[in-house]
Amino acid sequence: MGLAVLLLLGCNDSPPRARVLPGPEAPEEPNTSVDPQDTLCRSESRDPGRVTLHRLNRAEYDNTVRDLLGDTSTPARDFPPDDHGFGFDNNADVLSMSPLLMEKYSHAAQVLVETAWAKGRFSACALNPAQPEPCARKLLRDFARKAWRRPVTEQEVEGLVAFIARAGQQGDGPEVGVKLALRSVLVSPHFLFRVELDAEPTSTAPHPIGDVELASRLSYFLWSSMPDEALLQAAEGGHLHEPSVLEAQVRRMLADPKARALVDNFAGQWLYTRALDFSQPEPRYGFDEPLRQAMRQETQLVFQEFVSGNHRFKDLLDAPFTYVNDRLAAHYGLPLPGTNAMTRVDLQGHPERAGLFGKGALLTVTANPDRTSPVKRGVWVLEQLLCKAPPPPPPDAGGLAPTVDPTLNIKARMAQHRANPTCAGCHTLMDPLGFGMENFDPVGRWRTKEEGGAAVDSSGELPGGKTFTGVVELRGVVKQDPDLSACMTRHLLTYALGRGAEAADRCTVRDISQQAEAQGGRFTDYILAIVRSGAFLQRHGEAEVSKP
Amino acid sequence: MSRIPVLSRRTVLRGMGTLLALPLLDVMRPRVARAAAPAPRRFVTFYTPCGIHMPKWTPEAEGAGWGLTPTLASLAPVKNDVLVLSGLNNLPGKPDGDGHHAAATAAFLSCRKAYKTEGTNIRTGISMDQVLANSVGKATRFPSLELGIDQGKGIGNCDSGYACPYANNIAWAGPATPVPKETKPRAAFDRLFADFDPGATQAELAKRKAYGLSIIDTVRSDAKALEGKLGTTDRRKLDEYFTGVRELELRVNAMDGIGPQCGAVAAPADTVDVREKTKAMLDLIVLAFQCDLTRTCTFMLGNARSERVYSFLGLSGEHHAYSHHQRAQANYDALAKIDKWEVEQFSYLLQRMKGVLEEGGTLLDHSVAYFSSEIADGNMHEHKNLPILLAGRAGGAISPGRHVRYPGVPLANLYASLLTMLGVPTTTFGDDGTGPLTGLDG
Repeated sequence: MGLAVLLLLGCNDSPPRARVLPGPEAPEEPNTSVDPQDTLCRSESRDPGRVTLHRLNRAEYDNTVRDLLGDTSTPARDFPPDDHGFGFDNNADVLSMSPLLMEKYSHAAQVLVETAWAKGRFSACALNPAQPEPCARKLLRDFARKAWRRPVTEQEVEGLVAFIARAGQQGDGPEVGVKLALRSVLVSPHFLFRVELDAEPTSTAPHPIGDVELASRLSYFLWSSMPDEALLQAAEGGHLHEPSVLEAQVRRMLADPKARALVDNFAGQWLYTRALDFSQPEPRYGFDEPLRQAMRQETQLVFQEFVSGNHRFKDLLDAPFTYVNDRLAAHYGLPLPGTNAMTRVDLQGHPERAGLFGKGALLTVTANPDRTSPVKRGVWVLEQLLCKAPPPPPPDAGGLAPTVDPTLNIKARMAQHRANPTCAGCHTLMDPLGFGMENFDPVGRWRTKEEGGAAVDSSGELPGGKTFTGVVELRGVVKQDPDLSACMTRHLLTYALGRGAEAADRCTVRDISQQAEAQGGRFTDYILAIVRSGAFLQRHGEAEVSKP
Repeated sequence: MSRIPVLSRRTVLRGMGTLLALPLLDVMRPRVARAAAPAPRRFVTFYTPCGIHMPKWTPEAEGAGWGLTPTLASLAPVKNDVLVLSGLNNLPGKPDGDGHHAAATAAFLSCRKAYKTEGTNIRTGISMDQVLANSVGKATRFPSLELGIDQGKGIGNCDSGYACPYANNIAWAGPATPVPKETKPRAAFDRLFADFDPGATQAELAKRKAYGLSIIDTVRSDAKALEGKLGTTDRRKLDEYFTGVRELELRVNAMDGIGPQCGAVAAPADTVDVREKTKAMLDLIVLAFQCDLTRTCTFMLGNARSERVYSFLGLSGEHHAYSHHQRAQANYDALAKIDKWEVEQFSYLLQRMKGVLEEGGTLLDHSVAYFSSEIADGNMHEHKNLPILLAGRAGGAISPGRHVRYPGVPLANLYASLLTMLGVPTTTFGDDGTGPLTGLDG
């Protein structure tokens, strides 16, 4: 029985949060009838859902202009921050388009075009002042096709070429007109949004998306960027939806350095490590910028190996290798690699450092600035690995009062959670998961004593009587949990689609997770199973369509 | 003395005094002299997260005889410009179940209950600053200005099933449209001033305008063509695009009109130090008002449920953790320190505004500055008896220097009154407004 089931049973009568999706295993306990959803999962038809018109977020904008114009100035850095929903900042529903942002887009377009022009990026043909149109037409058609990630119509090209005449009216040459046209391409909704034109917009039955739309879904999932020429050509040729072509493209794209976007944007948010940038541990822990940098790189490099390598996705929990430099190795108590460069090391003899739970980045972002938080660490395990967020504490409950006798170990201090009946239901599960990581201090250093001098007690008893001691046994429990695979799937699917994976996606999540595990359970297998799913390949329209 | 609402260098320098963080490098010169007009009325909101420790905030005495409490001590130089309002409630800020911070922050200026969602079907209400911007904002280069300090960590969920836009925005252009804030002083400065080119000739400006408008025409027809092919949900996103294009058009159209009333000033440096960043943002607000670039501004000192660590106050815990004080004295003390610092920042803003002399009084006299938090006590998530400061005279409509206690009146009523005195006649506002709030004019 999974931990999540225990939580649902033990967590008083508090309903799980709205976003919590029931796990793939039906509750086994009495008093729970068979979920009608499970019957549904046996049927072949799945609701692929709909993705709202998706504005490029800041990472996607920067990567797209990098790949479109070779511009690495990351102009979106100065855009207002993107909001996030369902744990990711590529959620189409919360990516709003404000006047402020429109202003930034307009300004960025001007700067991007001027810079690219000065660097000769548009010199494929020469603009003949007497006869500029043939060259302009070619330049603008090619550029708009790439920028809009689809073939452009002749009418659209003519609309762009018309800027030359407008420039002429103002006494300016064709070059000015072409630059205006390029700017307009970059503030067009076809550039700023990922537009999916539905062949059957009023059909609420699932139907395939077009190959060109599929190309963008793929490239923004795997690269947080636009399709490249090979992908766009496969789409325009009408072959991308063919399973062998699709798989070949996915494998090619994952091997490309641009797949690094999965590390930065998916893993950084799923594993919370993005929050490391904002961590402010107490000075007494010796946390500084080089350490922050090394921790960030460690998690990135480990995850990168999962993206490109042959590891099972679940092995993230206990992978017996990591990347350290001298600073981080000393921090961890590992042998120094003798360099300041991040170096891959074997963790044989140091099993406590294996896998996610031994990573400084994670341990730091799930601690308070001035003490560990077994609750935060426990909640992280439940929410990010098992998709079972416990409800938040009731008002007037709050955190652990700092005035409690500091010579007691934290377990004793937290006994109040279990003594108070309104808290006990959830905390009997959250707290033990965190206790298992108590040998790591607020910045992830190994310790056997708490700051107050008490010996660390890293044992825990889970509801149902299962006991463990220390992080190695703890991660064994989590790794065996039947909900782990589906939860990884759910986070990855949420990110892949840019929409929340909700109750209606339950069967899809289960299918993907089972397929991925059957194929070997590598990260690539999960990616492929998602890409082959109806949720990724299909959509449905809306009965009501706006008036033209 | 002429009543041209353009600031002389001398006036501005005097206004900025020695507190000035942005040295003026150029004389401010009107491009086109305008007809005499009274100084405009401005509105600025100063939001601070996680509530206030009320026992050290609330003055005992009412009326003009109120005394400064420990938390309010830094208001001494502007005490007679400040109204302390007690007993106002914002009950639409109550969430369904948990999520008090996000729901109350969404309702902070809208007084509308937020629909509980992680992402889909976001809904609260238009915020009062945006109601104001829709009306008086037409007179200025920027209808409104949204500033803040934190961009957010971008992980997890923001507050118990309430999507992050609720927690990160107090300005809402419509029920589903948050107005994002600038969180970098340098970017905010560039937006206010960098586009303006005082060296451009009228002919150059006219050409730029023509080109800008031709781009706008083109992308608008792109969007129109697209609109007909989209479903209703997508069309709502595209509507936001149309709004953006329309505002861009207004900006471009204004290019050959009156430029900003101020010339070049030095840009603030980017910094992560919250003290420097806050000061730079507050300086920008004053400058934007002085230069009449906008008349409505919101400022978020943090996002809802802020976990900022105030290490420079000698504190090691996170703000939100302290706010769940559990009646522990150590937490009360920490909260009081944070609250005091927050009020000091507000006091700085007020003193800067008071230092700017305009025709007929100071900038502060012509303005309303509003300070509050989404809740009162952080431990209980109270949506009643909110901590509220109003400063300035709104051109004479407010008579400050008092502490007024209300018997549990909707906050929405305050907004109805403020909107009215700022030029948008309003009788009721939000979900629970019952009418204007009495007692603001003495």
